[in-house]
Amino acid sequence: MKWKATLLMAILVFAVVASGCIGGTQETKTETTKVTLTGDFNKDVIEIGKILEKNGITEVKFSAWGSGDPNSVMRVYGIVDTAYKINRIWKQNGINVKITVTTKYDQSFKDQYQEFLSKQPLGQAGDFFVNSYAFLPTLAEEGYILDITNYAKAYQNVINDFYPNLLEAAKYKGKLYGLPQDTEARPLYVRKDVAECAGLDVTTLPEKVKAGEFTWSDVYYWAKKAKEKGCAEWGLIHRKGSAHPDLIQFIFAFNGKLYDPKTGKLVLDVPAVYKWLYVEWKFAQDGLLPKDIMSWDWAKQIHPTIVEGKTLFDIGGTWYWTEWQTKQYYHGRPLTPEEVKKWFAYTLFPAGEKGDKPVTLSQPFIWMINSKAGQLNPKYEELKDVYHALAFLMIIKASDPEINAIHSVISAHLPVRKEAAKLIKDENWLNKLKNLDLDLAPEVKDNIKDIVEKTVNPINAQFLADVSYMLEYTHLAPAHPKYPALADIFKEAVDKVLRGEMTPEEAVKFIEEKIKADKELADNVEIVGEIPKDWKFPQG
Amino acid sequence: MRNEKLRDLSFFLFPMVFMVVLFYIIPLVLTVYISFTGMRNWNVDRYLHQVVGFYNYERLFHMFRYDPTFKAVLLTTVVFVGITLIINVLGGLGLALATFFMREKPASAFRLLWLLPRMSPIAVYSLVWYYFFHGSSIGTLNSILMKLGIINQPIPWGQIIPWGAWSVIIFVNGLVGVSFGMIVFTSALNQIPKELVIAARVDGASAWEISRRILLPLMKWHFLYVLTWQFLSLLTTYPHLFLLVEWDLVDRDYGTTLALYVFNTAFGRGEQDQGLAAAAAVVLSILGIIGGLITLKVLQFEKMIKRPRGDL
Repeated sequence: MKWKATLLMAILVFAVVASGCIGGTQETKTETTKVTLTGDFNKDVIEIGKILEKNGITEVKFSAWGSGDPNSVMRVYGIVDTAYKINRIWKQNGINVKITVTTKYDQSFKDQYQEFLSKQPLGQAGDFFVNSYAFLPTLAEEGYILDITNYAKAYQNVINDFYPNLLEAAKYKGKLYGLPQDTEARPLYVRKDVAECAGLDVTTLPEKVKAGEFTWSDVYYWAKKAKEKGCAEWGLIHRKGSAHPDLIQFIFAFNGKLYDPKTGKLVLDVPAVYKWLYVEWKFAQDGLLPKDIMSWDWAKQIHPTIVEGKTLFDIGGTWYWTEWQTKQYYHGRPLTPEEVKKWFAYTLFPAGEKGDKPVTLSQPFIWMINSKAGQLNPKYEELKDVYHALAFLMIIKASDPEINAIHSVISAHLPVRKEAAKLIKDENWLNKLKNLDLDLAPEVKDNIKDIVEKTVNPINAQFLADVSYMLEYTHLAPAHPKYPALADIFKEAVDKVLRGEMTPEEAVKFIEEKIKADKELADNVEIVGEIPKDWKFPQG
Repeated sequence: MRNEKLRDLSFFLFPMVFMVVLFYIIPLVLTVYISFTGMRNWNVDRYLHQVVGFYNYERLFHMFRYDPTFKAVLLTTVVFVGITLIINVLGGLGLALATFFMREKPASAFRLLWLLPRMSPIAVYSLVWYYFFHGSSIGTLNSILMKLGIINQPIPWGQIIPWGAWSVIIFVNGLVGVSFGMIVFTSALNQIPKELVIAARVDGASAWEISRRILLPLMKWHFLYVLTWQFLSLLTTYPHLFLLVEWDLVDRDYGTTLALYVFNTAFGRGEQDQGLAAAAAVVLSILGIIGGLITLKVLQFEKMIKRPRGDL
């Protein structure tokens, strides 16, 4: 019996090997697999379509991952709309290829980044990934995202239309790894009725701040006055949690720096950090800023305190403007656009002291392309360059001024292109957006209909137009893989200073010790300057 | 004969040995190996072969010496595991004994009540305690105490270091863990012949005397099991702690145990340092092994194991 079984096994093995060989002799004819971009979008798309068709590809599958507040869905629908438009070009030119896009939209951009990080090596992450530029250095360093420097050369005219400092946020070690998708400014909001009660004239405030005449000493003076006169419970409210990015504006406002481009290292600018912590400490010690603000609840404490007029100043973000109109922070209901306009003035983040400059800070989101983009499609290895070029063209199209402007208006983020900035000031275009009378994929129109209805109005468009100038004053946190670790230490120090557990001097020493205790961080951070002696706050 | 016995044993033990090797030994070996590499950001292809020797251990040691807050993490681990363990074991024992002397229906309802924390999703359960212990007037506890006029200002419970933060994490985890001991001890109590208790009752023994003289000595095995299991479990637990720290309810340094530190270092930051986390995990495992052995020694585990009389 044994020999029969052996024979059977041998035949089986032979059959498997033979079938493999027979399959292997079938030659799959591979046509051109390289593409050279010309800068003419239609021409390039048609060229790619033809290459795909010749190689027997009829469907290209991509997935787009995006995240953020509920109004920022264009971060994925921008890609969906692009696919629709490319499909239309191919159809008009008789090319039988179609792009299909699946989307994944999450609330937390940090969680999605962590998911991308863990799934990219397994080939399970999205082909398009839009997320904070803060993570770009790590993703680029690990080879998880595509270097698009060469592709971009052909589209220099589009690239030139982006604000240059935002474009810098999409670069790492001189190479371009994505295109800016949106950005924002972080204004200092001033409650108009509280200001009036305290005697502060808000009409001239933005200009005074711009000129560097109204500094943080003035913020302190008016905050104290508002509290003493009983106009408000607090003088200042700011964010909780990570000190990045709202609070590090203080470092720039005190003329400090966080990064040294010459050495490529992060910088702990001791004088600027000391002054930042001193301001926080002074506000908290004098009861103008809650000592436990870093553990306040966003929805139940921070936003209600601001919209109910319990504070004179608030360090916030432009997105607060529409967030207050969609979330029920004001006695259980959202504010109307008219109320937001009536109650809030906004300025740049004031200069630290006379002689310094006002600032704001942006955290641009970037369209990034997975370095394995398109890998689930047929003939990936041969056609890798074609799939990647197509993915690049898709983010170029998704950066169209119209798409960018729609996103800005409905989510209160700032446009990243000059052309988009022009559009949001155009009343005709806004009316078209209100009626969704724009050339968009039907799926996209269906999905943004409700958001458009609630947010597209002249007040919000005017707000965006008004704050756009702040981008000229913007700073970016350094694009460095070790920056998140440093920001974590800042957060801890601010919390300890606010609670009165440490003096500003002790907190600076604490930050230094924490940096030195982490060997890798110590290698990546330069500690510069000393605690200024006899520095006083407030001044003047 | 010997071969036959070995074959039989291998046959019966194989599934268990296979599972242990697959799910315990291999991950342990991998963790030790990764701790000697520069592994980060899940980039297996790039870093798995990049052996860095004891570099990660050096970093840990350096942190232990110079980081102003790393010692707080170690101290928190010791206090958290120690006190929660006592609560879990003695609480479980107390609940089991209390329900043993109750009638069956209310006893079952009571046990079910204590099982609720374990049955609730972690996020929901943690959220309940987040609002309960919140350090402002929106916190339930503060709001009650203020209404009763006991306090004027809200107390930031989780931010009072170290004992405020420790109390919150111990309380929340203690409530979850106590049901495990309760179930094991209840099951043990049900195995004890009722005649012994009845006879003692007839002789006029109180519930305390019955517990001390009859029930507890008969539950020594279970006591050892719950103690060791809960010790190892507490040493490696982090989900509730993660949320309480993430939501800023408790102070970050005094709310973080070594297990949470391992998790955050490996998966919870912008740059995920899996090599360093693995080194910390190895230290944690060594602590677990030493602690487990001490527990077994103190409770004289070897005396409880007696060779069976005759052949099996």
